[in-house]
Amino acid sequence: MNKSRLGVLCLSLGVSASMLLSGCGTDTSTATPAPTTAPPTNTPATGVSATSTTASGGTTSGGTVKIAVDLPVGGAEGANGIPTRQGVQLAIDQANKAGGVTLDGKQYTIQMFFLDDVPPGGQGHDPAQGSKNADSFTADPDVMAMVGPFNSNVARAMMPKLNTAGLANISPSNTATDLTLPAFNPKLSDLRPTGKITYFRVCTTDNIQGPVGADYAFDKLGKKKAYILDDTEVYGKGIADEFEKEFKAKGGTVLGHDGVPKGTTDFSSIMSKIAATSPDILYYGGTQSNGIPLARKAMKPAGLNIPLMGGDGIVESGYTTAAGADGEGDYGTVAAVNANLLPDSKSFIDAYKAAYASDQWQGVPQAYSANAYDATNIIIAAMKTAGKKDRAAIAAAIAATKDFKGAIGTTSFDANGDTTNRWISIYQVKGGTWTYIDQQQFAAK
Amino acid sequence: MAFHFDLILLLQQLINGISKGSVYALIALGYTMVYGIIELINFAHGDIFMLGSFTAISALELFGVNTKAPANETLKDPVVVVAVLFLSLVITMVAMGLLGVLVERVAYRPLRNAPKLAPLISAIGVSYILQNAGETWRGPSTVNFPAVFVEPLLQIPTLDPSRFLTIRSKSILILVVSLILMALLTQFVQRTKMGKAMRATALDRETATLMGINVNMTIALTFFIGASLAGAGGLLYGMFIRGVQFQLGFQAGLRAFTAAVLGGIGNIPGAMLGGFLIGLVEALSDNYLQSQWTQAVVFGVLILILVFRPSGLLGQRVAEKV
Repeated sequence: MNKSRLGVLCLSLGVSASMLLSGCGTDTSTATPAPTTAPPTNTPATGVSATSTTASGGTTSGGTVKIAVDLPVGGAEGANGIPTRQGVQLAIDQANKAGGVTLDGKQYTIQMFFLDDVPPGGQGHDPAQGSKNADSFTADPDVMAMVGPFNSNVARAMMPKLNTAGLANISPSNTATDLTLPAFNPKLSDLRPTGKITYFRVCTTDNIQGPVGADYAFDKLGKKKAYILDDTEVYGKGIADEFEKEFKAKGGTVLGHDGVPKGTTDFSSIMSKIAATSPDILYYGGTQSNGIPLARKAMKPAGLNIPLMGGDGIVESGYTTAAGADGEGDYGTVAAVNANLLPDSKSFIDAYKAAYASDQWQGVPQAYSANAYDATNIIIAAMKTAGKKDRAAIAAAIAATKDFKGAIGTTSFDANGDTTNRWISIYQVKGGTWTYIDQQQFAAK
Repeated sequence: MAFHFDLILLLQQLINGISKGSVYALIALGYTMVYGIIELINFAHGDIFMLGSFTAISALELFGVNTKAPANETLKDPVVVVAVLFLSLVITMVAMGLLGVLVERVAYRPLRNAPKLAPLISAIGVSYILQNAGETWRGPSTVNFPAVFVEPLLQIPTLDPSRFLTIRSKSILILVVSLILMALLTQFVQRTKMGKAMRATALDRETATLMGINVNMTIALTFFIGASLAGAGGLLYGMFIRGVQFQLGFQAGLRAFTAAVLGGIGNIPGAMLGGFLIGLVEALSDNYLQSQWTQAVVFGVLILILVFRPSGLLGQRVAEKV
């Protein structure tokens, strides 16, 4: 009896010790390699006050101020979250090197407060985890603003809590229309209980991404008959619906639109059904972790020798690795400008490469790294403009951002919190990797 | 939505359904045999199916199939293909069989005389352990399963000259291998001494002990056979859909469990019938309804059967022992 009790005691001590140890160390500290090049050449929002001087012994140190970051890095989401987080970290490191921010006359160092929205043991982003993260962020008085989340369904869960606490957040990648546009969400006030705008994004929305995809497929690729699938999630269904509307408006035929529940692995019967309708392109709205590569592999055996097109949810290495040779020639849109082509982005690209050359992408910024970088710099600029360690003041300063020049071009936020910078890039799988082929500014409708 | 009757598409979906169904039948056999002998729903069984497909990738690598680069993942010589497939199948089946025996020995045998809930919870725990093992082994994303051979498509001409009935040779392969395995199993259970021991133990465990049957060995053998069939299913399925993922076992296990219950849990021909039926239901639902309804339809069928015929399609009403 004694032996087994001792055994149970040791086991429970061991388990609690390991839980404690694993709990620490998930917050990234500022101990990442500092970039060697100068800070970005962006001009902050109008009205930079004189209080944003670099501290050199004149102002007192107020400690640290935190920027919360909610991104998915665990499970299968590393390719999404890690390069995005690195964009944030780069901006923070550069700002700290230049002396941090001065708020209420004191000098503060900026620190990242990172929480993963993939739950422990989970495989992908989880709105419930995001909601818990929102509680952690709002409870910390040093957190002044947030970058993230990555996924639209997580944003839906987090927005009411962040809005109630007055904590502003800028997403680098949410594209769902119902997060900001009244036309797509009659119950938008549920996401903004206080009525103030605290949610912003630097990427454009699916009501732009979907239609640009449709325009490209119809005009440039000459496809007239499309079959549409979606992964039944907020983002996937949204972008698929937008594609459908625009494709029909251009005169194309939509042969069918089905939802495929998460966890589907055998697409043979779905593909047989689609093949019987003879489409010339398959549009699949969704994230690649929801089985899209398996669908791709089921297309040729069913007789479907047509390209697949999707949104930014498939423009990542997870798709090309899992779809293999079958994915060659597929198309995808990304709600981000190709930073490599903008003159202002060169300093960002060089700094990013210097800091992260040893990562698994050899220091090449990924689809949302530049977005995250600009989002963070907008927050830092807003902190300087507001000059106060106060969430409401900083949120108001973010909302007033006009003509912010950054790595992804010039950003201003409109009345809904969306960016006026409406670039969509088109990518194609060439030689097993996603290669940029074109980009379009979408005129406001 | 205008419904027009497309016979060719219907036949195509029946073919799809039968090949899906053969895999479900193989997995369902494991569920049904284990339930029959120790009245436990082995929730970890679906994950053995998943680990079977993971093991198959390793086995194929062993024989020189390049599993990393999609361009050269196929073998050319038909004799080599048959030999490699056969050997990989044997390796996978034996490996999974041993895993099944290990799981039984560690997680279920100590609880054999405990209330029924205890081994059930233990099974859920084993399921999580196996899933995590799979994730640690091959990562969380979809893993490429090699095509092994470039499959010729059998195109059957139809009355409409522009349309063909396409039968993938892999569908035929899956069906043939599954039927052979099921036939072997039936022969084993009906004709051999060990099979008789299994039937006796399933009927009444205590009396079987009195008759001199080594119950522990018999149960271990049951697990071995069930798990090896799941492993075979894993290899066949992986080769068919050419991609596997550590959470594959959950969905597949759930459908196969439904199939086993549909056919009458504890009943071997019932599991086979149930498997094919569920495969057909899925294919037809994807076709005539929309794929987002398929899960609901499958479980709807299960509920209907249980309401109107609780012992399943082929299950017998056994009088409750007092």
